[in-house]
Amino acid sequence: MLLSDTIQTAYKAIIVHRMRSLLTMLGIIIGVGSVILMVSVGRTFENYILDQVETFSNNLIEVYPTGFEKFGRTTDSLTFEDAEAIANLTTVENVAPVIFIREKVQYGTEELSPLIFGSTSVFLGNYGLKLDKGRLIDESDEKSARSVAVIGSEAANTLFGNRDPIGERIRIGSRFYTVVGVLQSLGSALLQDMDTVVTVPFSTARAITGKHQLDYMSMTSKGDDDLALADIQSTLRQRHGIDNPEEDPDKDDFIARSSAQATEIIGQVTLGLTIFLGLIAGISLLVGGIGIMNIMLVAVTERTREIGLRKALGARRKDILLQFLIEAVTLTLIGGVIGIIGGVGFGLLITAVADKLLGSVSFSLSLSALLLSFAMAMTIGLVFGLYPAKKAANLRPIEAIRWDR
Amino acid sequence: MPKNNAPLIQTVKLCKSYFNDELETPVLFDMDLTINEGEFVSIMGPSGSGKSTLMHILGFLDGPTSGKFLFKGEQTMQMNDDELARIRATRVSFVFQAFNLLPRTTVLDNVMLPLLYHPSIPASERRDRSLNAIESVGLTDRADFFTNQLSGGQQQRVAIARSLVTDPDIIFADEPTGNLDSTSGNQVMEVLQKMHTDDNRTIILVTHEHETAMHAERIIHLTDGRIDSDTTNFKRARASKAKSLNK
Ligand SMILES: Nc1ncnc2c1ncn2[C@@H]1O[C@H](COP(=O)(O)OP(=O)(O)OP(=O)(O)O)[C@@H](O)[C@H]1O
Ligand SMILES: [Mg+2]
Repeated sequence: MLLSDTIQTAYKAIIVHRMRSLLTMLGIIIGVGSVILMVSVGRTFENYILDQVETFSNNLIEVYPTGFEKFGRTTDSLTFEDAEAIANLTTVENVAPVIFIREKVQYGTEELSPLIFGSTSVFLGNYGLKLDKGRLIDESDEKSARSVAVIGSEAANTLFGNRDPIGERIRIGSRFYTVVGVLQSLGSALLQDMDTVVTVPFSTARAITGKHQLDYMSMTSKGDDDLALADIQSTLRQRHGIDNPEEDPDKDDFIARSSAQATEIIGQVTLGLTIFLGLIAGISLLVGGIGIMNIMLVAVTERTREIGLRKALGARRKDILLQFLIEAVTLTLIGGVIGIIGGVGFGLLITAVADKLLGSVSFSLSLSALLLSFAMAMTIGLVFGLYPAKKAANLRPIEAIRWDR
Repeated sequence: MPKNNAPLIQTVKLCKSYFNDELETPVLFDMDLTINEGEFVSIMGPSGSGKSTLMHILGFLDGPTSGKFLFKGEQTMQMNDDELARIRATRVSFVFQAFNLLPRTTVLDNVMLPLLYHPSIPASERRDRSLNAIESVGLTDRADFFTNQLSGGQQQRVAIARSLVTDPDIIFADEPTGNLDSTSGNQVMEVLQKMHTDDNRTIILVTHEHETAMHAERIIHLTDGRIDSDTTNFKRARASKAKSLNK
């Protein structure tokens, strides 16, 4: 039999059994497409989130009060004096105590509900925020508890549009503040939009809220995060009278965490997400594979008889096997390619929507998922397409024609 | 190499058993049978006597359990898949009671199918040969129909056209009229008869009907896997002799 005849025979068989061919391809499309989609979307978000964390300076350390949830204490466990004590440590620098002001910001008819940080001059630097126009909050603002504010680029846009914000007066709660500086755009970090922040001097925030306790404090280590964290923990435990040599976080009334740790934890969470999605995708590949198997096994009786007839008419074993090989390769290739296009296409679509909503999300294709799922589908298609054909081709023609199982 | 004077088909002590899970069902016993080129043979016998089994072995669709089966003097037991395929493609063809056409495929494609596996007929001749075969069974106007759009008699004629198209030495027909009414049955028999008388082709036919069997010049009766009687149908034999003398 000529190769061209075998190819033509295979394609005729695909078209004659178009329903079965379509269902086979569908199984492959679903399997390959979903694996690529799930794993790539998982990876895309993993990358996005890690990106968010890495925006922060590498040595960032944050300390939060946690007393509220434990032992009936309140969250008011961190004080300004704690911050001063920590500032005296040799392993940390740029210690910035923070008090939040929970008010709206107004300018004319424009209104904004940003995060309002009351903190010292080093605060912005800890988060990599840089000045675009005007000046930063300085020592003298702090000393005199002046009503001045430095605002993020997006906050400036919303409140002032094209106007120059420097020197303008905004209202926070019932008081007016003069805008002295506007920050450069940073995008979002840790899923928070860093461009809508508003900062005022720490002393001003303390005076307005009347709070003595801190909402949290941020600082940077002088190089060794672990050393710095150990220092902070022992200082705070000592000051708060907590005996916790076994380092049980439940006994502390605070949490000290470095951004490296956060990156690690978030990395683990997102990796978990990717694995989870990969697992779901693996299940769909399995389901798709079982679908392919089913269709091919259901077709075995019919196809065994066809093979018997072809052999009765003079087909050699190799003619049969080549025909079925071409059939299986064609179906799995077409199905695989459509699956890849579909998976990547949906992935790009989801990424585009996410980019619109979150910003700076870029699609990350998982090449290994692509190759693996394609190889799996190909194997399933070939094995379950060829194995019954091989068995049938080894039968005597009449045995195959009378096949009834 | 085929011996010049060797009969077309010769079996010596041919036996056939079926095996299902160690269970042996013997069907044919020590069958000695010779069929020469150009004969028209009918095989008759009660149901289960082994007619189909014998046909399948002689038609290269199955193998014997023991004994010899010589085709043109050549031993067939030792042939490999390629050699068997070659004989099926070029020398013998089979008409089944159940037609066995490819579904969802046209009459023309069905008739052309054996030519795909024929080692020497060039691709350029396939279409004309197939159309000729279709014409000889009177289905030219149905060539582009799908086989499921035909009556049973028409489907059997397609099967006969398919068996003709490779110009084989022998055509085996296992109850070709068994599924047909008498009118379509007669049409099918006319075609087979014509293939024998016009082309001097060897035909081996299994049938239950006496009237159908009487088309042949020789009638073999099987009972319980043995040849019961092997007789000449003088009416036909004389007619065919007269015809060949006239030529
Ligand atoms: N695959 C098989 N396995 C076991 N026994 C079989 C098999 N095929 C046929 N037989 C047995 O062989 C015997 C002969 O069967 P065969 O089909 O040759 O009969 P037949 O003469 O053609 O009958 P019919 O006139 O009904 O077609 C029967 O008894 C049948 O049961
Ligand atoms: Mg029978």
